[in-house]
Amino acid sequence: MTEIIGTNWAWVIPALSAGAFFIVLPFRRYLPVQGAPLSIAAILLGFVLFWFVLADLLASGTADLSIRWLSVGDTTLTWGTTVDQISVTMLGLVTFVALLVQVYSLGYMKHDGKYDPGLGRYYAVHSLFVAAMLALVLADNLVFLYITWELVGLGSYLLIGFWYERRSAAEAAKKAFITTRIGDVGLLIGIVLLFRATGTFDISTLIHIAQNGGIEQGTLNVSMFLIFLGAMGKSAQVPFHVWLPDAMEGPTPVSALIHAATMVAAGVYLVARLMPLFELTPTVLVVVASVGVVTFVFAGTIALVVTDIKRVLAYSTVSHLGLMMLSLGAGGVGVALFHLVAHGVAKAMLFLGAGSVMHAMHEETDIRKMGGLRRRMPVTGWTFAIGAASLAGVIPLAGFFTKDEVLLRVLEYRHPVFIVLALFGVVLSALYMARLTFATFFGEPKSDHSEVHESPTVMTLPLLLLAIPAIGVGFFAFGLGDTYKGFAGFIDGHSKFHLNIWLSIASLVLAGIGIWIGWAAYIRGSLSTERIIDRFQSVHRVLAAKYYVDEIYQWVIDRIVLVLGRFIAAFDRVVVNDTAVDGTGDSVKISGFRMKFVQTGRIYNYGMAMAAGVVILSLIWWIVQT
Amino acid sequence: MFGFDPYVLLLLIVLPLVGAGAILVTPGSNVRAIRMEAAVAATVTMLLSVYVFLAYDHSVGGMQLERTWQWLSMPGPWPLGDHAITLHLAIDGIAAPMVLLTGIVLFTGVLVSWRVGDSEEDSKPPKAYFVLYLLLLSGVFGVFVTLDMFFFFFFYELAVLPMYLLIGVWGSSSTFPTFSRTKEYGAMKLMIYLVAGSVLIWVAMLAIFVEGGLGTFDLVALEQVTFSDNFQKIFFPLLMVGFGVLAGLWPFHTWSPDGHVAAPTAVSMVHAGVLMKLGAFGIIRIGMMLMPEGAQAWMPALIGLGTVNVIYGAWSAIGQNDLKYVIGYSSVSHMGYVLMGIATLNPLGLSGAVLQMFSHGIMTALFFAVVGAIYERTHTRDIYTLDGLAKRMGFTATMFAIAGLASLGLPGLSGFVAELLVFLGLFQTYPLLGVLGIIGAAITAVYILRLLARVFFGPLGERWEDQTDASGLERVSTLVLAGFILLVGLFPFPFIRVIESGVFEVLARFGDVG
Amino acid sequence: MIELAHLQVLAAALFSIGLYGVLARRSAVLILMSIELMLNAVNINLIGYATFVDFGEAQRALGQVLIIFVITIAAAELALAIAIILRLYRNRSSVNVDQIDALRW
Repeated sequence: MTEIIGTNWAWVIPALSAGAFFIVLPFRRYLPVQGAPLSIAAILLGFVLFWFVLADLLASGTADLSIRWLSVGDTTLTWGTTVDQISVTMLGLVTFVALLVQVYSLGYMKHDGKYDPGLGRYYAVHSLFVAAMLALVLADNLVFLYITWELVGLGSYLLIGFWYERRSAAEAAKKAFITTRIGDVGLLIGIVLLFRATGTFDISTLIHIAQNGGIEQGTLNVSMFLIFLGAMGKSAQVPFHVWLPDAMEGPTPVSALIHAATMVAAGVYLVARLMPLFELTPTVLVVVASVGVVTFVFAGTIALVVTDIKRVLAYSTVSHLGLMMLSLGAGGVGVALFHLVAHGVAKAMLFLGAGSVMHAMHEETDIRKMGGLRRRMPVTGWTFAIGAASLAGVIPLAGFFTKDEVLLRVLEYRHPVFIVLALFGVVLSALYMARLTFATFFGEPKSDHSEVHESPTVMTLPLLLLAIPAIGVGFFAFGLGDTYKGFAGFIDGHSKFHLNIWLSIASLVLAGIGIWIGWAAYIRGSLSTERIIDRFQSVHRVLAAKYYVDEIYQWVIDRIVLVLGRFIAAFDRVVVNDTAVDGTGDSVKISGFRMKFVQTGRIYNYGMAMAAGVVILSLIWWIVQT
Repeated sequence: MFGFDPYVLLLLIVLPLVGAGAILVTPGSNVRAIRMEAAVAATVTMLLSVYVFLAYDHSVGGMQLERTWQWLSMPGPWPLGDHAITLHLAIDGIAAPMVLLTGIVLFTGVLVSWRVGDSEEDSKPPKAYFVLYLLLLSGVFGVFVTLDMFFFFFFYELAVLPMYLLIGVWGSSSTFPTFSRTKEYGAMKLMIYLVAGSVLIWVAMLAIFVEGGLGTFDLVALEQVTFSDNFQKIFFPLLMVGFGVLAGLWPFHTWSPDGHVAAPTAVSMVHAGVLMKLGAFGIIRIGMMLMPEGAQAWMPALIGLGTVNVIYGAWSAIGQNDLKYVIGYSSVSHMGYVLMGIATLNPLGLSGAVLQMFSHGIMTALFFAVVGAIYERTHTRDIYTLDGLAKRMGFTATMFAIAGLASLGLPGLSGFVAELLVFLGLFQTYPLLGVLGIIGAAITAVYILRLLARVFFGPLGERWEDQTDASGLERVSTLVLAGFILLVGLFPFPFIRVIESGVFEVLARFGDVG
Repeated sequence: MIELAHLQVLAAALFSIGLYGVLARRSAVLILMSIELMLNAVNINLIGYATFVDFGEAQRALGQVLIIFVITIAAAELALAIAIILRLYRNRSSVNVDQIDALRW
């Protein structure tokens, strides 16, 4: 350690936010502004610390730190942190986005000059969520990772259900928690299976053992697949994607936090972190890539028809998470994380922009009632356009570079089918982003916007700050002499940045086509959306119903889970209790009732029975004797 | 410390009795004095139980705070006949957390029962209630600290019998759309079940006494005897089922949910929180310590039934509409983890099982305290009638959420640590059942979250506009319980250390078997 | 010469007659008398054994002692039973045991 504050201080970053949670939650009624400044200060300090950690990492390399949490026999569970390139990247992204979101929330949670009465609870839970996420990216062993993983789930549950008085918010929170938890069942089983095979939870030890063939291939395949299930749940991959669009019921800044840089990134992070293990199971990697590409296209198509501004962004998030998974499936850790960062800042900006629009328009979310808003809200409008363009892959914004690297990786390492589907996804991605931006901020107003005005500085400042990396982060792709070999090289130490010029042109052209269609349909009006819908009615219906996935799940829950639950409950009551248990009691009662008639009350009957008994007993005795 | 260590365990048994005696001589009309006496007895006993837990030195292990009083000698051809029955008190690493658990539940239960006899429709005097309640807890302490089979059984019965009166007199009858359960029914069923269980236990105990040939009921002495294989295989199942009934072993579990529905709040807390633990404790203390080979042979059966408990209990909880039934079935489900953990016969699983006993005890007590508070105000437990309560009862909702999250195994709360250890243990012996166990935890999430969303979230029902939140005493009692849930969840090591030392003693018995 | 077997046959016959009386008669008084017959059958048995079997010096008078006991108890029992029957007759104007079934279910 060359510096006093360095990588060994990394644990302080989540600890600060955790501390804020434990102070703000119980004492929020007694703190100024319900404790919000405390929470912001904690994350700000975390962000500052991040730079020290980064500097020390670059100077003196990765560092581990762990303390014993509990031990039974020779099994020890620890809470430990590891600081390396992957975790420090996430650390920076999470602290940066969380800080801006928390600042922004100060404005967003203020209605007519008054703070929301739940503000303290909001900031407390926010801090809990951020602390869990930061600890997650630092975790050096799988148990600690699982612990923080679940706490992230808890945080999202509480944040999505923040307005718990709305039935829809309560249901969405429940759905998010249960859906991700189903994936977590796989994750936990996978972790325990790895423990069973190796006797350790420590990630680096596990990787070491696995690379030396210490884990049977079958076990490794099964456990990595199960762990990937957990990642699918958190990162909203098909078919676990259903919770994410519903999670838009939470306050919009929450969506910016959860669905851009943190919770949904956890699944991607997990796969990236365990990539050395996944690399030993090529079959599972193909599964990862397939799930990723399917999600990329699947969610992109739905995003084309959704009319709720936040839900378009939600499906776009699902789609881009699919792209990251695809990249991981092609073995590209560096490029996946690069896209994660670029997408994280751009999507956070988009969500915050959407929040700004909703704040101005009294919680209106239907893009069909918007239009031309850039004139009323210039900062929001232009930052939104930058974010959308970045994700659509417009050169030279960050999204272009990261997406290009992913595509290149896929082209080189995967079957051609993947690249074809991925390029189709690129068109979709450009198209829905163009549609969203044009319909909201350009063209003519579709309803009365005279009262709409730009949001306060506390909300626009984070937007502007996010716009900087959204534009510039792409240039990190290039190497800088010998010390910095491009982002991918920074992550894994050997990759080099390179371009395939034909692929870049192809993706640019495709993105251009997408944007052009959007422009034609939503600004120039030469392409009538109504006519397209008329022409492809059945397709539109399926897309608008989101491929009926929700309906299928609802059916399974209503018709199978709940019915089975009622059946078992009734079985327990009627068969086990009323028949078996009460039946035993009743048979005793009934037999007693029957048997009482033996008591005739006539002495000679009793006498006869006695005499007969004596005779029989003596006969028996006599037989036994002889 | 202070030279009273040799008496401290006896005090645990005697203090509640003293409290009961003091209440007995107080005139029934002086309700205030009765409550104060109960509270003082409960507080002192709880502090004592905390002291006992802290005084147990995990680095030494074994039986500690030991003390023996002679009670009965038995002339005859027995080598130890002059020590036939002794009041032999001591705790090991498994009993220590159980004593702490009992102390906490006793204390919080008294606070929760503060208003017994106050409401209009039930004006039954609190005097007898507190006497029976303290009597019950004295019996529970007795079971956990005694090392003599006779007194074990004696205290066991002492812990069971007052339940009958407490439920039968102070309980509540419920009518549901398709069926009804009177409090008499609940009390009667509980009683018959538990007495039937104790018949099996008593038969096995007498058999052990005779077969042991030492003329003593002392467990430590009997541990030196090696019982024949056949004897162990015949009599271990008697203990397993006999104690299993109390632990809610499927299919002998139905007394438990029905008992909860009928019982008053504090009795539910003791019932699910402590009484069900007696069963699991008995299996470990008598069954496994004395008959390791029988245990070894019957463990597959126990683990199978435990798995059924977990899945069946959780899934029937999904189908329930009454808050207490949901919690009752969740107890059945969670006790399944205890049984599974015991049956793994390895340090991880067994430690997890004991920690789960502690964790579930606290958690379910919190559940019932909260449900009791809601029922007292709304007079309903129907989850379709209650809605949006969080707006008016924010504190209560938070407490329920903590208990619920602990129950679905959320890290940071006590349930996770216990279940994780059980799973780790299970995967070493029965991986497939471990998978089922983890799935059970996911099913738990379904019914707990469903309950939270239905009862506490959503728009506030009109008729609950005037609801009040928890009172001061309720806040204190639930905060104590929630505090322990967090404490065990975040810093489980002080607990695990103690438990581990006890668990290794038990597993040492299996050294020559496994 | 009278032998033990003769006495045993006599006792068995008396006992059987008594048993038959107890089972077949309906009058409480007659049942009582039959019980007396059975008791005395036992007495004869005891006398027989006491006389014909040598139990050694210490137990020589044991049979006779037992008989005295039986007779005493029989007398006490009879007194009690007659008293009950008398009360019964006062209440019910009958001593037919068929009609005395108040302890039935």
